Amino acid sequence: MRFPYLLVAVAAVAALPALQEADDTREAREAMVREQITARLGGREPVTDAAVLRAMRTVPRHRFVRPADLGHAYADRPLPIGYGQTISQPYIVAAMTEMLDLEPGDRVLEIGTGSGYQAAVLAEIVDSVYTIEVIEPLGRTARDRLVALGYTGVRTRIDDGYFGWPGHDGFDAIVVTAAASHIPPPLVEQLEPGARLVVPVGAPFQVQALMLVEKRRDGSVVQRRMGAVRFVPLTGGP
Amino acid sequence: MTPHSGSRRTAGSPHLELAVLLIGAVGIAFEIALVRVFSIAQWHHFAYMIISLAMLGFAVSGTALGVLGARIRGREELLLRGGALALPAALVACYEISQAIPFETLQLASRAQQWVWLILLYLVLSLPFFLISWCVATSLLLRPDRVGRVYFANMVGSGLGAVGLVGALFFLPVHTMPYALAGVALAAGALLAGRRPGWWTATGVLAVVLAASCLARGPRPIRVSEYKGLSYALQLPDARVVAGVETAISRLTAVRSSLIRETPGQVSGYPVSELGPFPEQTGLYFDAGGVSPVHRFDGSLEPFAYLDYVTSALPYHLVREPRVAVIGAGGGTEVLSALQHGAASVTALELDPGVREIVGRRLDEFAGDLYGRPDVELIIAEGRGFLASRAEPRFDVIQIALLDAYNASAAGVHALSESYLYTVEALALYTSRLSPNGVLAITRWLRTPPRDAIKLFATAVEALRRVDVPDPGRHLALVRSWNAATLIVSRRPFDTDRVEAVRSFAAARGFDVGWIPGLEPHEVNRFTILDAPAYHEAAVALLSAESEDFLRRHPFHVRPATDDRPYFFRFFRWRSLPGLIRAAGRDWVNFVEWGYVALAATVAQALAAAGLLVLLPLALFARRGPSGSGRAPVAACFGSLGLAFMFMEIAFIQKLMLFLHHPAYAVAVVLTTFLFFSGIGSLHADRRRDRPVRRLAIVAALLAIVSAIYVVGLPVLFEVGSGWSDPARVATAVTVLAPLAFLMGIPFPTCLQVVSNRARDLVVWAWGVNGAASVVGATMATLIAIHAGFRTVVILSIALYIVIPLSMQRLTRPES
Repeated sequence: MRFPYLLVAVAAVAALPALQEADDTREAREAMVREQITARLGGREPVTDAAVLRAMRTVPRHRFVRPADLGHAYADRPLPIGYGQTISQPYIVAAMTEMLDLEPGDRVLEIGTGSGYQAAVLAEIVDSVYTIEVIEPLGRTARDRLVALGYTGVRTRIDDGYFGWPGHDGFDAIVVTAAASHIPPPLVEQLEPGARLVVPVGAPFQVQALMLVEKRRDGSVVQRRMGAVRFVPLTGGP
Repeated sequence: MTPHSGSRRTAGSPHLELAVLLIGAVGIAFEIALVRVFSIAQWHHFAYMIISLAMLGFAVSGTALGVLGARIRGREELLLRGGALALPAALVACYEISQAIPFETLQLASRAQQWVWLILLYLVLSLPFFLISWCVATSLLLRPDRVGRVYFANMVGSGLGAVGLVGALFFLPVHTMPYALAGVALAAGALLAGRRPGWWTATGVLAVVLAASCLARGPRPIRVSEYKGLSYALQLPDARVVAGVETAISRLTAVRSSLIRETPGQVSGYPVSELGPFPEQTGLYFDAGGVSPVHRFDGSLEPFAYLDYVTSALPYHLVREPRVAVIGAGGGTEVLSALQHGAASVTALELDPGVREIVGRRLDEFAGDLYGRPDVELIIAEGRGFLASRAEPRFDVIQIALLDAYNASAAGVHALSESYLYTVEALALYTSRLSPNGVLAITRWLRTPPRDAIKLFATAVEALRRVDVPDPGRHLALVRSWNAATLIVSRRPFDTDRVEAVRSFAAARGFDVGWIPGLEPHEVNRFTILDAPAYHEAAVALLSAESEDFLRRHPFHVRPATDDRPYFFRFFRWRSLPGLIRAAGRDWVNFVEWGYVALAATVAQALAAAGLLVLLPLALFARRGPSGSGRAPVAACFGSLGLAFMFMEIAFIQKLMLFLHHPAYAVAVVLTTFLFFSGIGSLHADRRRDRPVRRLAIVAALLAIVSAIYVVGLPVLFEVGSGWSDPARVATAVTVLAPLAFLMGIPFPTCLQVVSNRARDLVVWAWGVNGAASVVGATMATLIAIHAGFRTVVILSIALYIVIPLSMQRLTRPES
């Protein structure tokens, strides 16, 4: 009977670094939420939505960054992920998610999968997440990563996100996580009445206006500037 | 004359001056080529920053020679030939290494390693400039009796280098220039080799090695930042380069991809499912950066319905079947928009001849011979200059739409770039070229916090006031979308029909009206809701008696740009920085105008590096040397000289750029004229060696008189001559510049003669100080012009020229 005990002991010793890492990253996520997302920093409005905060505490952000940036995974800044793209800074992810005003049963479309981090955060809140990435290697890596982390319900697609998700009637929320030179009209058309679209609008790699588009019940569309951000570009049009 | 100089009267190659001329040409041509290379690889403002510091290599050579001091005495010729032989290899090697360094400007804030790459870039690029300056300085040491002639050769060579490079860029891509210039440098080395077989062999071997290496691998392409638009486009799944053209102005790359679709502003109200998708586009990338779309066009205007859903379509709802002038035609979007809206004719003005080549020839099948239509006339000209040069025809619509969409970006990188398109004088000119029923439409990208459209509105109000329009508000309309605003300046006051046309245009497309006569407060801020109706409030304030107070108190610099301070894109105010940091917290960095910051950083780093690399070593060295007592006046004299020359040169390049209508040609003409006549001035100084202080005082007085006349008289002359032919304007520019440049060429050799007579060691000290001051002066002139105008730059230059005889006076007194 000694052998099984030995096996357990060996397994426990082998798992120690992973457990240690899990503890470290959990602490890092707690600190990230406490110091960056719920704190009143400069001109930022703190994020207060409990579901969003829970998601930010849960998703292992360090699994979405390049090995070279592991040390900065929970830092208050965007990080490069290759192909001129970035993973947005934690506060922006949380703030944009909060702007969508999500309910668990909502269907959410994300344009610009990038690392897959935003999709994972959305998947912690709603049941139905669709995400599109135009750069094939990024899209493939993100899909594999999401599956590996257990986010198997996230539907991924490599395509031009400008047209939304082909064949889909409408979404309750759409989030664009890449800079667009303009609001893609097809995305506005894919919003259900009462739905919201969050999109950074502006020149690529420069300061963009974060726009919240609301389609009212009567079909009219109103936009608000919610702040300034920097995102890498989304390319496409009708 | 020092005891040594007599023995060197006959030293040096008989072709010394010719060799110096070639080396001078290589220096300026390499500098201009590098600015182009880094404008493509990174962005123009950072290119300017990088090259400015690399130019300190010029000054450091003076330091090196100064530190070597007596040890090089008698070996000047050897050092000159060695420098000349090393130069061709350095030009090629440094260019190639610079393109292998993985530097990314946009990662400077996040990756410490990028600072290492930046410093390495500085060091690598400064080496050729160090060698060029080394050669000139050793030539001056070699032939102190012919300072003026050597200086003349250097100046003339520099002038020829400028014009030669601009010309060559129309035939050869810029990344081949380092190799071509290495050939010129080899020729200079061969001239200096004289009849020495050893040097000939070395030069020949080097030539063979460079040629073989170049032929075997081909010129190294420019490494374009992964953050530039072209790099991003080429990553798109089906992207391919379909055409490319390079001129002295830009490198144009046409990329085809089903994913490239650009709109001239927001199209939120466009009913895609009803009117169909946008036509296919080819992206036209300028300097690998911003994109201007070329649309697939088969003669049918139906697919271009989406162009009616942007703010810049507004003028076509005010004037029917207009004769249109489009400034900045680019890929042709605005031309198509004009045609789609029923324009009777379109005059498409485009600065870049590459556009005609690409759109008109290489992509003619795709673009449907847009510029060959009978109702479209493409004119390669600078827009304002073209309108200034012709009183007729009058246009019903002058359209200036989002020009910088395809050149750098809309987020502050232009802050240090002059633009004579958006000044008060320019808007007054455009308005004067309108038909009685005509409208001027200017569209700008919007940013947060609001500023661009406010400055544009302020500029229009000021322009209308200057031409005595009694109620400017009755001539203006402002409509904004999510990201762009169009300002309309109407020749005649808005009547009820036009006011209603603006209202219905905006409401149908989900645009907000910022200003029209009679606008009610409840009508503003309806579709794109801002915290406050900033544009409307600004328009009301600017049209009221409190406009001055509004301009003074606004957190951004929204005071109208003028021809004296043509910096429309500068909005940054230092005094607003604390408020910005308080309001935006750690995100304040997102709001900084990087063009301005880059310029300020350039001045700061140039000052620091000049102190550290040039002045400090020279001061330490000279303390041990025999001529310490002369250092202070020499520093004052040659520091003033470097600053004054650059201040004057840059101020008048700017003035003449407006007159010559074309920045690239203007720089070539003006720089060449300046350097050539300065060279003549130095040659003249070389022949007259008596009473140097008196001569310097006379020069300063004459410069003060001539520049005072120019400051007052040139605007008048330019207004009268703006309609003259190109050759006539070039001839006028040369005539105007010649006396000024001639006078400016006199002080340097005059002072150098005095210094040389006093103590030879001080010559290198003078050379180093002058080089450092020139580099600092070039960047500082722009910073001063942004804040105080070019007139102030000229006045400061005169003040500095007055310092020169005063400091020289101290040097000509016998040493106690």
